[in-house]
Amino acid sequence: MSNGVIITPGLADGALKRPEQSTDVYEQAQAFRNERRATRARSLIAVALMGLAFMTIAGQLIRLAMNGQTEQRISISAPLATAFARPDIIDRHGRLMASDIVMESLVADPQSVLDQQEIADKLATVLPDLDKKGVLNALADRTKRFAWIRRRLSDAEAQKVHDLGLPGLDFRPELRRSYPLGRSAGHALGFVNIDNKGLQGIERYLDKRESVEPVHGPTLSARAPLRLSLDVAVQFAVEDELAEAMRRYSAAAAVGLIMDVNNGEIVAAASIPGLDPIVTMDRFDKNRIDRLASGTYELGSVFKAFTAALAFEDGVDPRARIDVPPKLEVEHYQISDSHPAEGPLTISDIFLRSSNVGSAMLALHSGQQRQKAFLEKLGLTTPMATEAGSIARASPPKRWGDIETVTISYGHGLAVAPLQFAAASATLINGGHRIKPTFLRKVGRSAGHTERVIAPETSQFIRRLMRDNVASKGGTGWRADVPGLEVGGKTGTAEIPGKGGYQAKSVIASFLGAFPMNKPRYLTLVCLFEPQGNRETNGKITADRNAAPTTGRIIARVSPMLGFLPE
Amino acid sequence: MRILLTLAVAMTFLSAFTLYAVNYETRGLAEEVKLREKAISAARRDIAILKTERAHLSRPERIARHARKLGLAPAKRNQFDAVPGSGMPGSVMSVRSGEEE
Repeated sequence: MSNGVIITPGLADGALKRPEQSTDVYEQAQAFRNERRATRARSLIAVALMGLAFMTIAGQLIRLAMNGQTEQRISISAPLATAFARPDIIDRHGRLMASDIVMESLVADPQSVLDQQEIADKLATVLPDLDKKGVLNALADRTKRFAWIRRRLSDAEAQKVHDLGLPGLDFRPELRRSYPLGRSAGHALGFVNIDNKGLQGIERYLDKRESVEPVHGPTLSARAPLRLSLDVAVQFAVEDELAEAMRRYSAAAAVGLIMDVNNGEIVAAASIPGLDPIVTMDRFDKNRIDRLASGTYELGSVFKAFTAALAFEDGVDPRARIDVPPKLEVEHYQISDSHPAEGPLTISDIFLRSSNVGSAMLALHSGQQRQKAFLEKLGLTTPMATEAGSIARASPPKRWGDIETVTISYGHGLAVAPLQFAAASATLINGGHRIKPTFLRKVGRSAGHTERVIAPETSQFIRRLMRDNVASKGGTGWRADVPGLEVGGKTGTAEIPGKGGYQAKSVIASFLGAFPMNKPRYLTLVCLFEPQGNRETNGKITADRNAAPTTGRIIARVSPMLGFLPE
Repeated sequence: MRILLTLAVAMTFLSAFTLYAVNYETRGLAEEVKLREKAISAARRDIAILKTERAHLSRPERIARHARKLGLAPAKRNQFDAVPGSGMPGSVMSVRSGEEE
């Protein structure tokens, strides 16, 4: 340093030893400067690259931050409610009967609500049936961050609430089950709870079959729809005719059924007054119970079809004439007919005249054990269920003696659900095969696949009796006849038990029908509860005057829909 | 050597940026898929509502009410006919108008 030579780490040791060589020093200094410039340039490049990298990262951060703002919704924290996504329910032709839709529910964050009273008051202006007290209670607990205000608003209601611009409120989309047909087939379809879980009917069956998926949000089910055996058009026609019959005969209630006798498919099942699956109050209305499957009733003379079948199975010759007295005494009870026989009767006469005494004699001929076993074999007294739920179990008498055998022969003393009665009756008509009633479409299943429980000859005999009962004026069911179509059937008028015994003026009028009788395909059952007499019925309340013509009108209306044209 | 080093550094940066870009492009695409799924979900919801509305509007009870207003009545049996050779035994094919029992 003292001799003026700049010593740098970059110079070779030899250079220091030769200070006299000024040109070399100059060159070395120049080289050093160049080296320093290069180093600075490299540093600048490195800094620039680093800067670029940081700027890129910063840029991305800014972009993400900005994009992130749109993604993050300020939402009310709430426990994720579990709902159930359900598949559609369709009829046999694919027409929609039940489906999930997404609706908005109104929720609130009690902490964000400034004025609870204002919220309740303003909401009540757009939701008139709102429970203001309930809203105030829900908003009172400010420790909570979530409260339901109103589940499932319509679009119009949601828009009105939105327009109020109230702080602390928000909407949450939820699944809701909708039933576009209203009350039609409501009993069969059943209903769901607020979380879309099936509680009754086919809806419950869907849950049992694990066709529903628990979801956290408004996710529609992607599963295939459940195809029922019901036909929406036939169902409506039956309901419409039953409603008309109720009006015409001033009946308290009515049930109607159309069933395929070969495979048990239920094409129409109506119990009027009906049940709307979304109207909660309907479920608690005793008048709206499903009389077809949930109630058991004594159905009267329609049971004589079983009695005649049993007698035939037990070898009573259809040509044999039985001396039927005007009155019969069994265990101190007197059995009589409204129109006593004027001579010996065949089974056919007993059936067509609907003779109680004649039926009693046929039943006594078979005996209580045979009768009991026969009814059990047909499935009348054993537990039965459909996809819509269990059918109310028949209550056989505790003591099945002679008098019970006699009363059961003409439909008293054994209360059954009309649906179970219809399923047992189908065996009498379809050639003797026991069937299981079903609400599901069963493609390709025929009678040959079911267990045969009575002889085909017995079935043919009963079919003939039923046809004669409608085709001949001497039968009780001629008012059910439909020109061009072979309809058969049996009437039944059962007095309803009440205080002090059976009520003569309060009856269930039934008609068990089938068509076409040359090759039966469909069974019909109509029951009118407590019909009243009128001018048309000549003041009478018996089934031949009300249930039979109602069945005729139903068959005339639905047979073309079912593919049967007049010949 | 310097050139190689520079190239390596440049490649490293290039790879880093490419990865970075691919990563965010993927996220962008995922975002887009999410949006499309949302749109599909919204469309499915709309379809469900429209389907239900159509079923509600075409329910037999409503059609019968309107038909009666127009003076129509449930079809009688003699108003139905089968199309010969349709291959569908007993199926109901057409309605002859203006016929009364």
